[in-house]
Amino acid sequence: MYAEASGLPASRPAIPAKLPVAAVVLWFGALIASSAPWFNELDIGALLSAFWTFDPNNYSSVLAHYSWAPRVSIAILIGCGLGLAGAVTQQILGNPLASPTTLGVEAGGQFGITVATLFAPGLLAFSPDLAAIAGGLLAIGMVIALTWRLGFSPVTVILAGLVITFFLGAMNMAFLLLKGEWLGNLFIWGAGSLVQNNWGPFMELWPRVTLLAILMLLLMRPLQLLQLGQTSASALGARVGLIRALALLLVVLMTATIVSRVGVVAFVGLAAPVLARLLGARTLGNRLLWGTLMGGGLLLLADTLAHWASTWGDGSLVPTGTTTALIGGPVILLALQSFRNTHHMPGQESGPAGFLPRRRSPVLVTGIITALLFITVIVSMGWAPGLDGWNWTAIPQWDQAWVWRGPRLLAAMLAGVALGLAGTLIQRMTGNPMGSPEMLGISGGAALVMVLIVLSGAEVSRPGQLGAATLGAAGALGLLILLARRHRFAGNQLLLGGLALYVFMDAGLRLVMASGGTVASQLLNWMYGSTWLISESEALGLLGFMVLVSGLLLLIVRPLTILPLGDTAASSLGLSVARARLLLLLLAAVLTASATVVIGPLSFVGLIAPHLARVLGQQTVGRQLIVAALVGGLLLAVADYLSRIVVFPNQLPAGLLAALVGGVYFLWGLSRHGPHLTTPE
Amino acid sequence: MSAFFEVSSLDVNIGDTSILRNISIEFRESEVTALLGHNGSGKSTLLKVLARQMSPTAGQVSLLGTSVRTTGARAFARMVGYLPQHPPGTDGLTVRELVALGRYPWRGPLGRYNDEDHGLIDQAIADTGLDHFQHRSVDTLSGGERQRAWIAMLLAQQTRCLLLDEPISALDVKHQVETLRLVHRLAEERELTVIVVLHDVDLAARFCDRLVALETGQLIADGNPRDIMDPRVLETIYGVPMGVMERAPGQWVSYVH
Repeated sequence: MYAEASGLPASRPAIPAKLPVAAVVLWFGALIASSAPWFNELDIGALLSAFWTFDPNNYSSVLAHYSWAPRVSIAILIGCGLGLAGAVTQQILGNPLASPTTLGVEAGGQFGITVATLFAPGLLAFSPDLAAIAGGLLAIGMVIALTWRLGFSPVTVILAGLVITFFLGAMNMAFLLLKGEWLGNLFIWGAGSLVQNNWGPFMELWPRVTLLAILMLLLMRPLQLLQLGQTSASALGARVGLIRALALLLVVLMTATIVSRVGVVAFVGLAAPVLARLLGARTLGNRLLWGTLMGGGLLLLADTLAHWASTWGDGSLVPTGTTTALIGGPVILLALQSFRNTHHMPGQESGPAGFLPRRRSPVLVTGIITALLFITVIVSMGWAPGLDGWNWTAIPQWDQAWVWRGPRLLAAMLAGVALGLAGTLIQRMTGNPMGSPEMLGISGGAALVMVLIVLSGAEVSRPGQLGAATLGAAGALGLLILLARRHRFAGNQLLLGGLALYVFMDAGLRLVMASGGTVASQLLNWMYGSTWLISESEALGLLGFMVLVSGLLLLIVRPLTILPLGDTAASSLGLSVARARLLLLLLAAVLTASATVVIGPLSFVGLIAPHLARVLGQQTVGRQLIVAALVGGLLLAVADYLSRIVVFPNQLPAGLLAALVGGVYFLWGLSRHGPHLTTPE
Repeated sequence: MSAFFEVSSLDVNIGDTSILRNISIEFRESEVTALLGHNGSGKSTLLKVLARQMSPTAGQVSLLGTSVRTTGARAFARMVGYLPQHPPGTDGLTVRELVALGRYPWRGPLGRYNDEDHGLIDQAIADTGLDHFQHRSVDTLSGGERQRAWIAMLLAQQTRCLLLDEPISALDVKHQVETLRLVHRLAEERELTVIVVLHDVDLAARFCDRLVALETGQLIADGNPRDIMDPRVLETIYGVPMGVMERAPGQWVSYVH
C-alpha cells in the first residue's frame, strides 16, 4: 500500500563526526593560541595551576593568575552564555538569524548603561545589571511591537532588530556629541573589552550565568514544540505566548548581565549556534549543547586574536567586540549560502490578511508636499538665528547667503530624494516593508571604505572621499550580486547579505571608536551626516546626476509592479526576472551611494520615505516613487535646517537628527499602520 | 451515544464581518463527521473554535458537559487533537521526533518519557504505515507521507477526538483515499470522534457517518450520507444544480448539471 522502503535510513540519524571534531579543534586551537605567549615563561603544569593558585615569588605566575587565567575563564563563560542565549533565541523565533545582537538586545543594554551613567550614576554603582536589563527589555519590547502585526516573519524580525540597533546607536551618539566628556570610557566598554586584573568579575558572573542557563534548559521541551508553529504547538497544550515571553526574558537577562560587565560582545550569540547548525546539529538539544560549546571556543579565539592585535599594534587597545564582529560576518555569509528557503522557516505564520488600503489623489498629495518643500526652502534660506537674535534675509540678498546655506540644503534635499527612490525600489523588489538601502548594506559598504581611509591615516580630499565611498557602495553591491546570483536575486537573501556587510562596518567602527581622538570624532561627524561639509560644485554635480537617474527610473516602473507577484508569475508574463532585478539593484546602489556620501549611512530616510508614501495613500509603484522622493527630500531639508539652528552657534549632524526623528516616527507608525504595509510576496 | 462537543448559539465575528451566526450543534462520541460547504462558508472557522484556536464572539462550546474555556491547555490537548490546514515546515525533525512531540500534553515540560510513551509512539507510527520512514526528515517526505506523519503525531497524543482541517486538499486521488481510509479505520479501531473539513462531497459520503453543511455562517444541512446525497440538498449547499447516482449501496457519485 505504501511506497517502497529501500534505501531508507534504518536507525536514528547520528550527529555528523565533523561537529565534535570542529568543536575540539576550535577549543584546542583557541586554548593553545591563548597560552602560547606564556610557554616561554611557565611550564604547562604551572600555567594550568594558574587557574587556582600562584607562586608569589614568580612574577609571571602572579600575572598569569590575576590576568591571563581570569580572562580565559571569563571569555569561555561569556561565550558559552551567549552561545546558549543565541541558540534559544533562534528557537523561540524559528529564525536561524536571530540572536541577542540582531534583535537589538545588546544595543539596548548599552543604551541603558549610557543613560544610567549620565542621569543616575548611583544606580550603576548599586547594580549595573538593572540598567542594562531595563535597556535590553526596552529594545526587545520595541522589536516585538514593531513586528507584532507583521507576523514575526524571520527577515522582518531581524530588520526590526537592526532598526532598533541603529536607533539606539543614534541615541547613544546624540548623548555623546552633547555630553562627550562624560562618556569617553563608555566607548571602550561599549566595544567589549575582556581585559581582567583579578577574579572578581568572573566570580560575580559565573553564578548568574549558570543559573540562567539552567532555567533555559528547563524550558527545552516547550521550546521544541514551537518548532511546529503556533497553531500546532497550542493544539498540543503549550501556552505559546507564555513560553516565548519567558524564554525571551531569560535571553534578555543573560545578555544584559553579560553586557553590563564586559560591554557589547557582538555576534558570538549569532555565530555560535549558526555554526553548530551548519556543522550538523539538528535537534534542539544538540543545537543548544553545541551552540554553547562553539560560543565558548569562538569567544576565546576572538579574545586571543584581540589580545594579539593589541600587543602588535603598539599597545593601542583592540577591543574583543571588533574581532568577534570580524568572525561573525563570515559566519552570516556562510549561513546565507546554506539556508536556502528562509521564507519557509518553521513557526512562521502567514500575516493577517490586509484590507484594501486607502488611496488618495496623487495630485493633492504631491501638491501639498511640494508646497511644504518650498516653504522649507524659503525658511531655511531666509530665517536663521544670528549673533544678535533671529533675523530675516530678504530674497534679494540670497545670493550672499547662498554660499552658506544653499549647497548644503540642496545636497540634503537631493540625498533625501535619492534615498526615498532607493528605498522604494528596494521595498518593492524584496516585497518587504522593512527593506531599505541602510538595511541592504550598500550604505554600509560606503561607510566601511571611509572607516578604512580614516584608519589608514591617509589625508584624502573631499572628492577623493566621494569617489572612494562610491567604490565602496559598488563593491558592496558587487559582493551582494555575487552572493545572491544563485538565489536569482531573491529579496530575503539580499537582506541577509546586507546584514553581513553591516557587521563588517560595525567592526571597523568599534576599532576607530576605541582608538578615540580626532580621527574618531571626524569619522563620527561623517557617519551621522554632516551636511556643512558640502561645497557648491558638489551639490550641483549631485543635482545633474539625480536628473539623469530619474530618467532611467521611468523604464523600471512596470517591471517593479510585476516582480512582487513572484518569479514564476513574472517570467510567465514575459519579464526577464534576473535582468530586471540586476537593473533595479544597480539603480538602487547608485542612488544610495550618492546619498551616503552626503548624509552618512545611518539615516532612516530610505526606510521611512516609502513607508510614508504608502500611508499617504500612494499604492501604485509610480506614485509611490514620486511621493517617496518628495517626502525624502522634505525630511532631509527640514533635518538640515534644524541641525543648523537647534544648538546654534554649534551644529548637529543632520543625519543624526533625521535618524532620531525618523526612528521615533517609524516605531510609532509601523506599530499603528502595520497591517496596511504588508505587501503580498 | 452521548454528546462529545456541544455548541450552542455560537457567533463569530471578525471585525464587522460575521463569520458564523447562531450555530447550535452536537457532535456525538465516536462518530466521523464531515463539515461541508463552499469556500468562505465558515467551516474552517467552526473547526478552529472547536479546537480553541479562535474564541467565539458569543455562545458556548462545551466538551463532555464542561465549558472549554475553563479547561487547562494541556488537559484540553489530551482530549482534542487539531491538524491545521497547512502544517508548517519542521526544520529537520525526523518523523519519529515529530510523533514524539505528541506526548507533550501528557508529560509536560519536564516529565520523563517512559516505556508506555515509546510504545504509543511506535504504535502511532505503525498505525500510519510509516515504519520505514521513521528516521527520515519530515521535510523530505512527499505530501501524502507528510500528512500521515502529522496524523501519527495526533495519534500519539492519545486524544479522543481529532479535528482535521482539509487534510486531503493538497493530495492526489490515491493519497486522498488512503488518508481518509486511514482516518476511518483509526476512528473505528480507537473509537475516535473525528470532525473533518472536506471539499469532496462524494468522498465525505463514502467515509463519514454524518455530513454537516454550512453556508454563509449558518447550518443548512445535517444528516447521514443518505439524507444529504440528494440533488435538492446538494443544490442548496453548493448553489449549483446537481444530480446524484447511487452506484452501489453506500457509494454515491454527484455531478453538476
